[in-house]
Amino acid sequence: MEEDEFFGEKTFQHYCAEFIKHSQQIGDGWEWRTSKDCSDGYMCKIHFQIKNGTVVSHPGTSAHVQTCLLMEEALELPLDDSEVTEAAAATEVIKYEYHVLYSCSYQVPVLYFRASFLDGRPLSLKDIWEGVHECYKMRLQQGPWDTITQQEHPILGQPFFVLHPCKTNEFMTPVLKNSRKINRNVNYITSWLSIVGPVVGLNLPLSYARAASQNE
Amino acid sequence: MAEEPEAALPLPASGAADGEGPADVSPGTATPEPPSSAAVSPGTEEPAGDTKKKIDILLKAVGDTPIMKTKKWAVERTRTIQGLIDFIKKFLKLVASEQLFIYVNQSFAPSPDQEVGTLYECFGSDGKLVLHYCKSQAWG
Repeated sequence: MEEDEFFGEKTFQHYCAEFIKHSQQIGDGWEWRTSKDCSDGYMCKIHFQIKNGTVVSHPGTSAHVQTCLLMEEALELPLDDSEVTEAAAATEVIKYEYHVLYSCSYQVPVLYFRASFLDGRPLSLKDIWEGVHECYKMRLQQGPWDTITQQEHPILGQPFFVLHPCKTNEFMTPVLKNSRKINRNVNYITSWLSIVGPVVGLNLPLSYARAASQNE
Repeated sequence: MAEEPEAALPLPASGAADGEGPADVSPGTATPEPPSSAAVSPGTEEPAGDTKKKIDILLKAVGDTPIMKTKKWAVERTRTIQGLIDFIKKFLKLVASEQLFIYVNQSFAPSPDQEVGTLYECFGSDGKLVLHYCKSQAWG
């Protein structure tokens, strides 16, 4: 490795903890979960989205709306199913689940995700690809199997879609190098997730950017 | 020393929404020609303040990414990050399938539909918004 600090599991957990701290401050819904029999853990977030892309907003979330331009996601306040169904009416509601795990083999974080309709029907890979943001579609079409694949979740053992991690070091290194030049503290997880998240519909509110640079 | 001229960023024809709806950029609306007269062009200084429709952006290259000859741009507040990315890619003549990322605070990539005006409010200083851009493969 170069001068970059070794991104081991402990470092991963540290950055996740910082990330979740901020998530809690703004009610962004990320949680830390551990599996019962080992100390491995991961971050998890669930959000609901109306399939036709209609904006869904909830009272009490104006602060979040200001920092987050495109409110495609329904913030995950404790909705009960009937409330969601009412909002859905003639449209479909999709439940997205995002997990951030540590990959020992690549030594980087990896984004796992899955999506299903409220009745439990999972979205197909084709549906997922259709949901990828316009600006990434070209690249995705060129190498779909290199980009999003389906794999077994290392901890839960269930099928999830995964954003392939093999290039993570490539795009993270210039960013880290650059900010280290000016001694800016960077939360690896925040930077990384801000880059890969939008590909699969996960957008981080801007306040994460400020929080990351404030952490000493 | 002559100051680098501020250049105008061609604005796509689609209307800019106020925070709702899909991104204001649709593929193919931006012209591939180098920016010339376009709808947005402050040759002179505009009064600072909330009424200013355009904001000043300073673009800085990261890593091996080519450096743009013109680094200072005046951009409509409603221009999205995706729009800016498309513009820079065309300006640098990048292949459409190459990824370009834009960062605020040198470390955070705003989502593609984020408007630069909002970013300016949050991260701008000294009358401008500094954005770093970096070319790379993100996956695969």
